Amino acid sequence: MKDKTFVIIGNSAAGLSCIEAIRENDKDSKIINISQEAHPPYSRCLLSYYLAGAIDKERLWVRSKDYYKDFNVEPLLKTEVASIDEKNKTVKVSGGRTINFDCLLFGAGGSAKKVDLKGIDKKGVFYLRTLDDADRIRAMLKCVKDVAVLGGGLIGLRAAYGLSRQGKKVHVIVKSSHVFSQILDFESADMIRQELVQNGIQIRTGLAAVEILGKEKCEGVLLDDGSRFECQLVIIGKGVSANIDLLKDKVKINEGIIVDDYLRTSQDFIYAAGDVAEGYDVLEGKPSVNAIWPAAVRQGKIAGFNISGQKTIYEGSCRMNSVDFFGIACISFGIVRPQGSEFEELIHGNLSKNIYRKIVLKNNRIVGGILVTDVEKHGVYMHLALQKIDISDIKDILVDEYFDFGKVIPLIKRQKDSFTRPEYQDANSTYTSIF
Amino acid sequence: METKKIFCDITKCVGCRACELACAVEHSATRDLFLAILESPRPKKRIDTQFIEKDVFQSIGCQHCDDPPCVEACMASCIHKDKKTGKVDIDTKRCVACWMCIMACPFAAISRKAATENKALKCDLCPERECPACVDSCPTRALYHEARKDWAKREKNKVLIKK
Ligand SMILES: Cc1cc2nc3c(=O)[nH]c(=O)nc-3n(C[C@H](O)[C@H](O)[C@H](O)COP(=O)(O)OP(=O)(O)OC[C@H]3O[C@@H](n4cnc5c(N)ncnc54)[C@H](O)[C@@H]3O)c2cc1C
Ligand code: SF4
Ligand code: SF4
Repeated sequence: MKDKTFVIIGNSAAGLSCIEAIRENDKDSKIINISQEAHPPYSRCLLSYYLAGAIDKERLWVRSKDYYKDFNVEPLLKTEVASIDEKNKTVKVSGGRTINFDCLLFGAGGSAKKVDLKGIDKKGVFYLRTLDDADRIRAMLKCVKDVAVLGGGLIGLRAAYGLSRQGKKVHVIVKSSHVFSQILDFESADMIRQELVQNGIQIRTGLAAVEILGKEKCEGVLLDDGSRFECQLVIIGKGVSANIDLLKDKVKINEGIIVDDYLRTSQDFIYAAGDVAEGYDVLEGKPSVNAIWPAAVRQGKIAGFNISGQKTIYEGSCRMNSVDFFGIACISFGIVRPQGSEFEELIHGNLSKNIYRKIVLKNNRIVGGILVTDVEKHGVYMHLALQKIDISDIKDILVDEYFDFGKVIPLIKRQKDSFTRPEYQDANSTYTSIF
Repeated sequence: METKKIFCDITKCVGCRACELACAVEHSATRDLFLAILESPRPKKRIDTQFIEKDVFQSIGCQHCDDPPCVEACMASCIHKDKKTGKVDIDTKRCVACWMCIMACPFAAISRKAATENKALKCDLCPERECPACVDSCPTRALYHEARKDWAKREKNKVLIKK
């Protein structure tokens, strides 16, 4: 019988996978799951699909109705953690209750980066981070004809795409010289831009909004080149910042909460995972906040194993993103715009067919890549990168149309110990016996 | 957990693609070779025959991984690994075609079903059959539907026989 108390802050990707991992080892200890949002577990990644009307609310729920009962967890929803006392191992929540814990997972995620803009308080100006945000936007869509999206990143463009499919006229204002400047190179970003433009979305790069116009309600946006346009809705997508405030001065913090190989913070009974954590990035070779769903799930899971006594090392993740606009898929990972002579780029492109494959190498190891349209082999490349496989033997065919997992088989034989998943050995076992 | 999946004996595979055809037919609306070809959208295979090097081929699909990256990556949480059978299944109804699973799969086992509706597609081990269609169709008997330990046993025996 285990009789500890684990407090899990956040019921999103990191929190949920932590709970599930704990329960694999420990069925009895008390788990309390706190979330300031009122909703049962949902996926915030799906909010732009929900905005677009592509899915209904029911599809946002990523766990069953009986989840908390099934996992023997006490949910404290619509409850904000007000403070964490690391000396007495307690958290204080809204309403005044104080909860003791033996171990804490801090999975408080991120918030939309706030911008300082004249007129930002006007009605009709939104960030898109929570289901409540999405519901508020949806509630006013009927009276909206034109939309301004400020920011050319994943969330901004997903929102733009969704709203344009709702029949709205969408203007995207991007400060950088191209869209997706964080996750794509110029060539691939331009393919996506053209596709969006051809489908009626206006994209203006190299410009910034300086004021949101209107009386009480948003009526338009003024740009830094002096031009203005009408719109009734503004969505701001300027990135995410980690919700670190509750642990400020209590644990080591950089851009996010610093964690070790076990996802432990500098206090060994407090773990952190997800958008709030600064975990190891294998391809950058240094800690980094990778605010993506798969990293949050992985980190939450490994933290949960460690919390419940099963020592497990977090192998690190890398940056990765996937988009699909109007049927053109684009996936990228790791370092996509290398700077420095130690990098090498292998590129195959066919602009007229929207096909693009680029792999970035450093010392004959893959460190990043971009695939447009022909995306199916993305994971093959990414796992070669994450395992630091020497690809010299297949370098000349790496971005070929005919490259596939079959070409990796001889590498598994030669670099057996680097391929850590048992499935690699399954696939390789009879090949090895040929010789 | 003893996950049963498809193993390919590379020493027997001749790259004839019979498995691909059988897979596509099994996952067609009509389930008939001649009618399936006429279907629109064309039924899609979920197993891939690949050239490794001169005279060496393999057929590979979803590995129903022990620790599946696709499950962790799916932002709609619609991919699950069955606790009892170990099989990894996609709940296509909830799939939003974000390709996070494709992004994460080390074996390129997932494809996009693009013709009518965008959905992620992969080997489902033929739920309506005793033995998956690809395994039944292979003329050289290169494919096996079994658990890792049985596969390993078979491989060991083979080496013993050779000696
Ligand atoms: C519109 C949108 C689209 C996205 N698309 C993608 C995508 O395509 N691919 C991808 O990989 N990622 C995407 N993301 C990012 C992804 O959603 C996050 O990486 C992921 O949700 C991180 O999970 P998390 O558990 O770390 O934290 P979050 O999802 O941020 O959840 C934080 C949790 O902590 C709780 N919380 C925070 N502060 C407190 C407090 N003080 N008291 C109590 N509870 C608190 C919140 O209520 C919530 O439950 C998208 C995000 C958005 C907003
Ligand atoms: S789809 Fe890929 S990652 Fe998922 S179980 Fe199959 S082989 Fe593994
Ligand atoms: S494409 Fe479908 S199955 Fe794959 S990750 Fe996205 S929602 Fe999940």
